[in-house]
Amino acid sequence: MDTLDSTTKLNSSEIFDLMKQFITEVIGEEFVEEMEITMESSFTKDLEMDSIEIVSFSEKIKTHFGEQIDFTGWLSNMDLDELINLNLGTIVNYIEECQ
Amino acid sequence: MSKFLFVVPPFFGHISPTLSIGASLIARGHEVKWLGVIPVDAKHIPEGGAYIYPEADLAEYREELQQILKRQDDGPACSGPEVMKLALEETYVPIARIMMKGLGRFVDTWQPDVIVNDCITFAGALLAHIRGIPSVTTTPVPPDVMGDTANSAPKIFEWQENLVKSLQREFKVYGDDIVIHSRKLNLVFTSPEFAGIENPEPHMKFVGPVKGRPNHAAFDWARLERATTPKVFVSLGTLLVDIRAAFFQKLIDAFADAPVTIVAATNPDIFEKWPDNFIVNGFVPQAELMPMMDMVICHGGFNTVNDTFMNGLPMLITPIAYDHFHTAKLIENAGCGIKIRYKRLRIEDLKNAVFELLENPQYRNAALRIKETFIAAGGNDKAVQLLEEFAAAEQELVTFN
Repeated sequence: MDTLDSTTKLNSSEIFDLMKQFITEVIGEEFVEEMEITMESSFTKDLEMDSIEIVSFSEKIKTHFGEQIDFTGWLSNMDLDELINLNLGTIVNYIEECQ
Repeated sequence: MSKFLFVVPPFFGHISPTLSIGASLIARGHEVKWLGVIPVDAKHIPEGGAYIYPEADLAEYREELQQILKRQDDGPACSGPEVMKLALEETYVPIARIMMKGLGRFVDTWQPDVIVNDCITFAGALLAHIRGIPSVTTTPVPPDVMGDTANSAPKIFEWQENLVKSLQREFKVYGDDIVIHSRKLNLVFTSPEFAGIENPEPHMKFVGPVKGRPNHAAFDWARLERATTPKVFVSLGTLLVDIRAAFFQKLIDAFADAPVTIVAATNPDIFEKWPDNFIVNGFVPQAELMPMMDMVICHGGFNTVNDTFMNGLPMLITPIAYDHFHTAKLIENAGCGIKIRYKRLRIEDLKNAVFELLENPQYRNAALRIKETFIAAGGNDKAVQLLEEFAAAEQELVTFN
């Protein structure tokens, strides 16, 4: 499993690649191949992640970044429209700011 | 004897358990009627009961209602948060608004002693509150399907509360209380063990599955008897018309001429030809069929889930939308089935899951444990007892006052 070297901060393109890797692990390579994942990909709509997949995605973020990023807490403070429109770019920015 | 009015939505899965309880109430000598916003064929209504469709009062909402019903086809393509919007904002609240006039008029004429509203049919409890009539709620799905939003998603909880309160205010119910569900008695058609609820609120009564609604569907029993391979019942329920062909094509790809007999409840017209080991009927006598099956494949419609575990059968659940994901999680927690999300359904996984469920006894054993909790919950007898006690207590209250 990935462990964090707390001295290195990832830049946004590294975070994006890492998120892409997490998504692939969660929903399966076969299904990822059929979609184009970009910073604009919406989480629930384009990536079609269900709540259980989002939970395991959140777990991966927690395991990788540890306490410094409260991804679940951040999500739970969103309203419905924010959740519907949540895209990968927003998540990448959030993580970049939290580091 | 009491008069019970069931207020139901235009979705058969929610109407179905009320028909079963209604039949039991009629057998005990009570008067029972149903009221809803779409016509329901008389063959579904228990003998001695009646279904009221207040056509004249609904006339002005005809188009809006058609749009709401059509909008349901979008459900499978919606994400979780979009489904929440579709359900509450675009379906339940407007249907409540549409029902109020016809419901009010009928209630004033017939004067029921108890109004029983289905959990997504808010008009029933709302009108009961306005008229001062005792009300009970029926919940055909495990409660808590949207999760504990009050604690886990405060903004979504606030959105839910605001939608309901603004509906209530439209009908001059002010204040902070939510009155679209009964706070006195809520009959839930599953067991607390299966629903994963440890300390239910006292008015939430888990009575387990109920049965006995009329079902006159014909079936080729002789053909089923000739089948020698394990029997797999497949149902997609009554909604989700659009994805039917795609779903059954996957089943054909996986199981055409495989050593299983597929008994499918779907309109056979979707394909010109079915494999020989598929027995396909538009309508089936599901309650009679189920004891003869070895396992079930379904998307998670709650009546089929109940029928499955009442018969101690393992299930492959392929959740598509709505509350299916919640139900799938409960099934995985109980160990009585395997979940493969419909959107991630691969033919190979479908095959493996079915043979695993047929061959590995652990799933069937877990299903039998759920069956025991369902039977212990009491079913029709318990539901009727609770309703009679409730009606009597409320009657006494009226006399006393």
